Amino acid sequence: MSDTVLAARPVNYNDEVVKKFVIAAVFWAIIAFALGVYIATELAWPSFNLGLSFINFGRLRPVHTSAAVFAFGGSALIGTSLFVVQRTCHTRLWGGAALANFIFWGYQFFIVMAALSYVMGYSQGREYAEPEWHIDLWLTIVWVFYLLVFLGTLIKRNEPHIYVANWFYLAFIITIAVLHVVNNAALPISWYAAKSYGAYTGVQDALVQWWYGHNAVGFFLTAGFLGMMYYFIPKAAGRPVYSYRLSIVHFWTLIFMYIWAGPHHLHWTSLPDWTQTLGMAFSIMLWMPSWGGMINGLMTLSGAWDKLRTDPGLRFSVTAVGFYGMSTFEGPVMSVREVNALSHYTDWTIGHVHSGALGWVAFISFGALYYLVPVLWGRKALYSNRLASWHYWIATLGIVFYIVSMWVAGIMEGLMWRAYDKYGFLQYSFVESVIAIHPFMVIRMLGGVFFLIGGIIMAYNLRKTVTSPTTEQPRQGLGTPLGGFAVAGE
Amino acid sequence: MESVSSLLVGAMVAAFGVVGLFLVAHAADSEMLLFGVSLAGFAIAFDFNLIRRHFNTVDKAHAAEREATHV
Amino acid sequence: MFIRHEWFEKNALLLLIGSLLTISIGGIVEIVPLFTIETTVEHVEGMRPYSPLELRGRDIYVREGCYLCHSQQIRTLRDEVERYGHYSIAAESMYDHPFQWGSKRIGPDLARVGGKYSNDWHYAHLKNAQSLVPESLMPHYAFLEENPLQIDDIQERMRTLRTLGTPYTDDDIANAKADLLTQADPSADNAKLLARYPKAIEASGNGKVVTEADAVVAYLQMLGTLVNFADTNTERLRQ
Repeated sequence: MSDTVLAARPVNYNDEVVKKFVIAAVFWAIIAFALGVYIATELAWPSFNLGLSFINFGRLRPVHTSAAVFAFGGSALIGTSLFVVQRTCHTRLWGGAALANFIFWGYQFFIVMAALSYVMGYSQGREYAEPEWHIDLWLTIVWVFYLLVFLGTLIKRNEPHIYVANWFYLAFIITIAVLHVVNNAALPISWYAAKSYGAYTGVQDALVQWWYGHNAVGFFLTAGFLGMMYYFIPKAAGRPVYSYRLSIVHFWTLIFMYIWAGPHHLHWTSLPDWTQTLGMAFSIMLWMPSWGGMINGLMTLSGAWDKLRTDPGLRFSVTAVGFYGMSTFEGPVMSVREVNALSHYTDWTIGHVHSGALGWVAFISFGALYYLVPVLWGRKALYSNRLASWHYWIATLGIVFYIVSMWVAGIMEGLMWRAYDKYGFLQYSFVESVIAIHPFMVIRMLGGVFFLIGGIIMAYNLRKTVTSPTTEQPRQGLGTPLGGFAVAGE
Repeated sequence: MESVSSLLVGAMVAAFGVVGLFLVAHAADSEMLLFGVSLAGFAIAFDFNLIRRHFNTVDKAHAAEREATHV
Repeated sequence: MFIRHEWFEKNALLLLIGSLLTISIGGIVEIVPLFTIETTVEHVEGMRPYSPLELRGRDIYVREGCYLCHSQQIRTLRDEVERYGHYSIAAESMYDHPFQWGSKRIGPDLARVGGKYSNDWHYAHLKNAQSLVPESLMPHYAFLEENPLQIDDIQERMRTLRTLGTPYTDDDIANAKADLLTQADPSADNAKLLARYPKAIEASGNGKVVTEADAVVAYLQMLGTLVNFADTNTERLRQ
């Protein structure tokens, strides 16, 4: 379809809800990074726990993980998905403005209630699924409406084909719904008490939790953000996606294989051997569809690599794909039982998580945000490309500090715990490993500080983009430089 | 579509608000109390804004009509 | 191709259903057999549900996020068994709603911490870990000793667990409060408590008000103590 044909039927997109999610994403990013710095400080110098119940590490850590994954990541995902689905379907969001607003405010309500509940001392004790039953129920309601709105928009689309980004977004939405409902199956002790007991126990519970936990990573933090990648990289680069066939193969194999990887969180435990082996085998195979996605994303830059010098937002997105490749190689390596024997319970796992969370998830989000804000607010460009560059380099330095310090700390812990002296006794007491990692706790905290500073620079830059007279659009009558319509196939 | 959406969503949120009040009334712990109060507050704020938006839209439509027919 | 991708790209519902089916397979294949294969959870002597005070202590352990720093799963690795004791078997967490195996050791594994330290040590350690282990990273949990334990809902908790499959008897539930108070008071007669919950450990309560710390200590002191590994035929442990 040519631009002139598209220009003939302008669509009244619901960008209000997208703007809200974009603002929320930036806000929660800062909060999440700041919380991360604080709990990192608590691990470097425990006196920062201040003897207070509501800010000690045990209560604050889930606030950080929820803020990073659900508040920041979730707002970025929902916001971009609602933007992308409208543009690629060439139709306004289904369900009306009221429903879209309910999804936004309902989701923010979930975030705030969850955070408050943790610091008040309520938690289900399941990683990334800490909220108690009443908050889980609320999220389910919001999520069902999100699915309906997204699906409804796809069904009423004005484009014959559903664009690849939407396959990933849809898979993310439906899988998270399944994971959430199954993992959080629980019975409250009373309808008026914020305490419940989960439906599963022991080893079965362990696998349900890590089927959920790994796929929270696989679908929330991967499939969803791949959807983001498949729209914003071609858009910013002005190039089509590298390979349609690779998209198909990569999509179906990724969503099929990811689900099986859960057991690699439970190697050498009392989970049956057959389950551990299955999990390991699929985790290793998962390397292939993951790199398929990486190749598709990177090779989309063919013929446009020079844009990396001039477009800092695109630089973030492409670097994100690089970190994605790194993390999806490290993950399968750590899933090998013999490697896992060393890495499990150590800081190496934390390093791996953050190379993915900071390097892939945050960076691809930054890339999308730097692209979206000028478009959404009808500004001619970012306020300052230089500031965006500063953000990029400071944040990257932060990531390097973080992951290198965690690799060293993690491998050191693993080796110390299994070291024997010449008499055949365990060489180190547990606390000696704690003492040994202290310098790396400090370096990691510094890495987080850099990442936070980068985020603050971004927030300032984006705010100025919206408000500064220097980014005002010259009088044209149309919303954006290209009249609201894209170069690469919508 | 818009008015149907507003009505249905508004009614649903109002129902949630009422649930919140029940939670407050029988809350067994501080978290349920907070959740109930927050839910009720959310419902009030959300529905207030729905109503405000509705009347703003109506007002704008009337103003536009007046502009168009005014000599 | 007998399947054309075009079908999925032109029909949102087909795409949805196709994705849903695809993602369901792995979970079903890995999770369902854990419920149907009988050897998954070993048949051992000694396992019993948590006593009321231990249950409350566990609930506090869960809500405070202790699992974020402490694991409760000793792996089948030589150095780990030497450091912490017999590797954990599935049966030992069979009544755990939720499981608390943990995924990070900022502090040591607690799977068999029961009986390794005195009650006094635990109370002091919870209050100020650094007073006993200067380089510890653990926060201070002095508020546990200051908070009185909420006791009124203990029967509700146990009934809910019974609905979910924990084998509490009517007797257990009827005597829940009494058992809880008995276990928190070192001077009380604990014969009936031990009949219902063998190997339950008395917390060092003050006999007047049961605190959250009493509950946590009662819980910690029984961890890993129920199954007698010296006594068990290894054949029955094998999967």
